[in-house]
Amino acid sequence: MAKNLSGDLQVASANRLSDGVVVWLDDAGDWTSRLDRAAIARDKRTGEILLLRAQAEAFAVIDPFLVAVTEDDDGTIEPLSLREKIRASGLTFDVIAADAVRYA
Amino acid sequence: MPDTYFYRYDDYDRTLVSERVDQFRDQVRRRLAGELTEEQFKPLRLTNGLYLQLHAYMLRVAIPYGTLSSRQLRKLADISRKYDRGYGHFTTRQNLQLNWIKLEDAPDALAALAEVDMHALQTSGNCIRNVTADHFAGAAADEIEDPRIWAEIVRQWSTLHPEFTFLPRKFKIAITGSPNDRAAVRVHDIGLRLWRNEQGEVGFEVIVGGGLGRTPMIGKTLREFLPKNELLAYLEATLRVYNRYGRRDNLYKARIKILVHEVGVEKMRADVEAEYAETRDGLLGLSDETIEAISQQFAPPDLPPRSNLAGAVEALRLEDRDFALWLKSNVAPHRVKGYAIVTASLKPAGAPPGDASAVQMEGVADIADAYSQGELRVSHEQNLIFPHVAIEDLPAVYAALGRLGFAEANVGKITDIIACPGLDYCALANARSIPVAQRISSHFAGLARQHDIGDLKIKISGCINACGHHHVGHIGILGVDKNGVELYQISLGGDVDFGKTALGTILGPAVTADKVVEAVDSLVTTYLDSRGDGERFVDTFRRIGAEPFKDRMYAAL
Repeated sequence: MAKNLSGDLQVASANRLSDGVVVWLDDAGDWTSRLDRAAIARDKRTGEILLLRAQAEAFAVIDPFLVAVTEDDDGTIEPLSLREKIRASGLTFDVIAADAVRYA
Repeated sequence: MPDTYFYRYDDYDRTLVSERVDQFRDQVRRRLAGELTEEQFKPLRLTNGLYLQLHAYMLRVAIPYGTLSSRQLRKLADISRKYDRGYGHFTTRQNLQLNWIKLEDAPDALAALAEVDMHALQTSGNCIRNVTADHFAGAAADEIEDPRIWAEIVRQWSTLHPEFTFLPRKFKIAITGSPNDRAAVRVHDIGLRLWRNEQGEVGFEVIVGGGLGRTPMIGKTLREFLPKNELLAYLEATLRVYNRYGRRDNLYKARIKILVHEVGVEKMRADVEAEYAETRDGLLGLSDETIEAISQQFAPPDLPPRSNLAGAVEALRLEDRDFALWLKSNVAPHRVKGYAIVTASLKPAGAPPGDASAVQMEGVADIADAYSQGELRVSHEQNLIFPHVAIEDLPAVYAALGRLGFAEANVGKITDIIACPGLDYCALANARSIPVAQRISSHFAGLARQHDIGDLKIKISGCINACGHHHVGHIGILGVDKNGVELYQISLGGDVDFGKTALGTILGPAVTADKVVEAVDSLVTTYLDSRGDGERFVDTFRRIGAEPFKDRMYAAL
């Protein structure tokens, strides 16, 4: 069951400078492409600190910002907004492969 | 035989593009080294067509007036394979977007583009963007003059124009050389329509202040008839007035359409004519020699007239129903007897509109070489055009396109959907467009039903910026976000056919994503139950109005 739907939980996200890939800040202060490794701020004040930390670590990323997330009982986190869900999970349809002549 | 039947770069063009690639390579190096901040670098990358989207950088490649050679298309395929994920997206502005470019690779991608006289300049920013034109240019049976000659002249004038590099807002120009507008000239900042006056002279109707986006407007005639050699001087005067009085204080009121709306077209005309009176005898008058030199670059290919009747075409038409439908929807009259214009549909059932894989691009280039003088066009409706196909070659072209998945007989039909990239890619979008288009396309996939429904243009945008031209769709669909839920606002009656340019009427409350297909189905059913002889969907809408459609649609949901 999802909890914290109010958006109290937040992670810091950005796009990687070299290739634009979506990344999240982990507990060690490194940027990771795995949402499940993101550091979670559990209240507003911690969120502010997380954002400051992300901005301080922004040499190799672009414009860090906070993303509201939910957390399941098993600890799985998921962004609240559709936009951030798509950023986290990728396209919602299959693209055509380079060598394909038919759309799958 | 020349390499292409359109403009070929000279040393000046090549030097300019090459120097820009070198500059950008150094800018990227400095950014990656931390010598430039993102704030400093962002305008530099945007100037070179490199956007940052949701998942990655996107490179928007300019395809001037939608004209491509087979060689250029092969290079685009090669770039997509080498620097992207092996596919590209043809846009409603006749450009190509590559959605997964790495910043560190972008200079190499631009250098590869420069090898075939292409670039990504002015595909972003508040400048004069890539000039668009009729996608049947140089081939259409109804064409008065090839609009690409003038699009190229405008391109040369506007490229890196120092006075117009920081306009109040972006500026889009479209040109048509035919009475049947296929370039949507009345919904551009400036639309140019070539026409012949009673004296037999060809000139431009200059239309100003059209546009879609947040505040859709239909352009108004600024000058009924402008002699051709005065084009650049008159455009310069118009841009100068806009640059001076355009609203820089409010992003949402900065386009020229707002200026024209606020001051009125009469005042706009008076100001432009006053400016023009001061500058018309300056350097921008076009000499006959200049016009002729550019015209020669667009000299039509040598197409020996042939018979319009080909036995193989007739035989296949009788035995293959899909081919017969394809002839009706995807083949258009050519100005030379015995030839036709063929549209390759980039809208196979269930596919993302306008996408092509590297192999498909190469296959299209091969067909162009074999059957269309190596020439191609990109349409603002996100399809690819073979402008010069001998009628006797139509069965072979149909078969070759079939092997690529691009022979769907649906051009102008309900599945020939325009859709922007939407929330799957775009940082500005509020809702997804492509999955909605896919569901509608799959639902109406049967060709016989599509042809029974007839001409019906669905256009889908994922936000109010209207890259999917929803305002001018016979059925327009606009994705909106309401409290985190994607909803779709449906409008009817939009059109861009010349003389009938109209903005759609919003039917009522937006519908949820899972109801869009049902909504469209009920609109189509209403049309089928109500249509008169020969009436298209939009004709029936004009005759009976929105209410019957609205009542049935909301009752069905």
